[in-house]
Amino acid sequence: MTKAPWLMVAGAVAGFLGVLGLHKPATPASGATPGAAGGQASSPSASSAGSGPAGPVTTTGPAATVTGPTEQYGYGELAVRVTIRGSRITGLTVPLIRTAEPFSQQLASQVIPVLRNEVLSAQGTNINAVSGATYTSQAYATSVQAALDQLHFK
Amino acid sequence: MSAAQVDFGSPQPPAGAGRKRQAARAVPAPRPHPRLAGAAVVLAGAGLGAVAALTITGESAGQLSAPGGLLTFAGSLTGMVGTYLALVMVLLVSRIPLIERVAGQDGLVRWHRALAPWPISLIAAHALLLTLGYAEAARSGFWHELGVLLNRYPDVPTATAALGIMCLIGVISVRAVRLRLTRETWWLIHLWMYLALAISFAHVIVLGPAFVGHPLTRLVWSLCWAGTAGLVLCYRFGLPVLRSLRHRLTVAEVRAEGPGVVSVILAGRHLDRLAVSGGQFFLWRFLTPGMWWQAHPYSMSALPQPPYLRLTVKGRGDHSRALARLRPGTKVAIEGPYGAFTTYAQQRPKALLVAGGIGVTALRSLLEDLPRGSAPVVVLRATRAEDLVLAPEVRELVRHRRGKIHELTGPRDQAAIDPVSLPRLVPDLQYRDVYVSGPEGFVADVVEVARTLGVPDESIHHEAFAL
Repeated sequence: MTKAPWLMVAGAVAGFLGVLGLHKPATPASGATPGAAGGQASSPSASSAGSGPAGPVTTTGPAATVTGPTEQYGYGELAVRVTIRGSRITGLTVPLIRTAEPFSQQLASQVIPVLRNEVLSAQGTNINAVSGATYTSQAYATSVQAALDQLHFK
Repeated sequence: MSAAQVDFGSPQPPAGAGRKRQAARAVPAPRPHPRLAGAAVVLAGAGLGAVAALTITGESAGQLSAPGGLLTFAGSLTGMVGTYLALVMVLLVSRIPLIERVAGQDGLVRWHRALAPWPISLIAAHALLLTLGYAEAARSGFWHELGVLLNRYPDVPTATAALGIMCLIGVISVRAVRLRLTRETWWLIHLWMYLALAISFAHVIVLGPAFVGHPLTRLVWSLCWAGTAGLVLCYRFGLPVLRSLRHRLTVAEVRAEGPGVVSVILAGRHLDRLAVSGGQFFLWRFLTPGMWWQAHPYSMSALPQPPYLRLTVKGRGDHSRALARLRPGTKVAIEGPYGAFTTYAQQRPKALLVAGGIGVTALRSLLEDLPRGSAPVVVLRATRAEDLVLAPEVRELVRHRRGKIHELTGPRDQAAIDPVSLPRLVPDLQYRDVYVSGPEGFVADVVEVARTLGVPDESIHHEAFAL
């Protein structure tokens, strides 16, 4: 067994490169598939706490608000409430977020405003995941998309 | 047939000498396969590389540049690598026969000892780094964050208890502390490691960035741990129980061999089918009220002569002294056989066998496996002439094999085995493998002498008897 250290090093290099080779890079949150469960439609009253439109407002027709399904992600779960007015997404709030531990809670509180701005400026869920919060981004986009589908948005 | 009728003292001639001995002779242990053990080493290395890569791919550039990101990443990496090494540590002492046959029990324990500081210190570093990293991210202090971790993170309190157990085991395994504890105390505390590993498993799976959102990685990791637990249960528990039930050994006789040295002769069933080679040992568990809970390693001092098996022990610790008081009929459970100190290891045409003191037991049974005309050279070394136990049996075995025996007695400086005296005793050392058995210090010295005289490492085999 005098060659054992070399065999081990060779194995380690192979294992390391093997996993790197198989690894799929984190997917962006765009094109997120909606959750199976439908969201609960709430009364079409504006529910935004400080939500504002990002682009020029073309508000034709009444405002409609739907809460997307609760999306489970690795470190917790969240749901997004979406308000549309005509063909614009005008409001996004997170009425529910639960995380496994405080670190994820803190991360989510930093990430959710960023995601909100991204959706408002993209006017859809074709957004990039926030680096370091891939799962939160995916859950957010999925919940938004499900709400939009329920509102027959575009 | 009573035990008095069995005579290990007048050994049978070697195989092929015309006597019908094969029928009664036990089957040799299975042949070792160094390539398979090599493959296991490659696999262990691959696991290490894979674990490091998994941790890195679980991370992103954004996380690294965030406050506390570097500390958190270092915490994940040390945790993952440390836990993986802990898994390897468990495998090293799980007695997987495939690897044990090649590396030997003492070789595996040596690796286990050499590796031991790493998992414990890496896992301690993991806890420290993550607490610091989270504190930095939350802009709070270390102690505050520690409180948050313990109170509000799932499975972290149990993992912290596990870390406490690991640190305790680390402390008692430091040589200076270990020497102050009895073997039994040390061993019992050491067993808690299984508990520590079991209760820390959950927090890895629930919180580890490499696992959350990666069901396949979770599955593979869980299977690896379940498999390891299975191997430990199978080879450290199941197989010994099955063997003990099959052979049903009982003490037949206890014989005095010399000052403080006794032979215990055991009787059992189906010993002709117990696969064992000369030079191997068992962990013996004598089922008396005071001794049933501990198993001790002692070499066989002769190949089995069904229905009998013999071990010879020098009374040094409490346990070995208690053997002298064993009553005939005492039931004995066995674990083994273990050890790579067999003729399978031999690389060169002939052999030199060196034993210090009670190390003669392994040499005596190994000698039986050497064929007729193999012309072994045997060196027995003891401080006093009366400590040369089993010498008459060894002489007889050497004579049957046309070998030479040198008996050295006296203080170390007068009857030394050194680079000057050894070539005089063994002029054809370059054609011989060197087998050394005895107390640790003696074995280390003789191995050093053999290396100095140019014997390659593959041709030096040793079995050290820990005190």
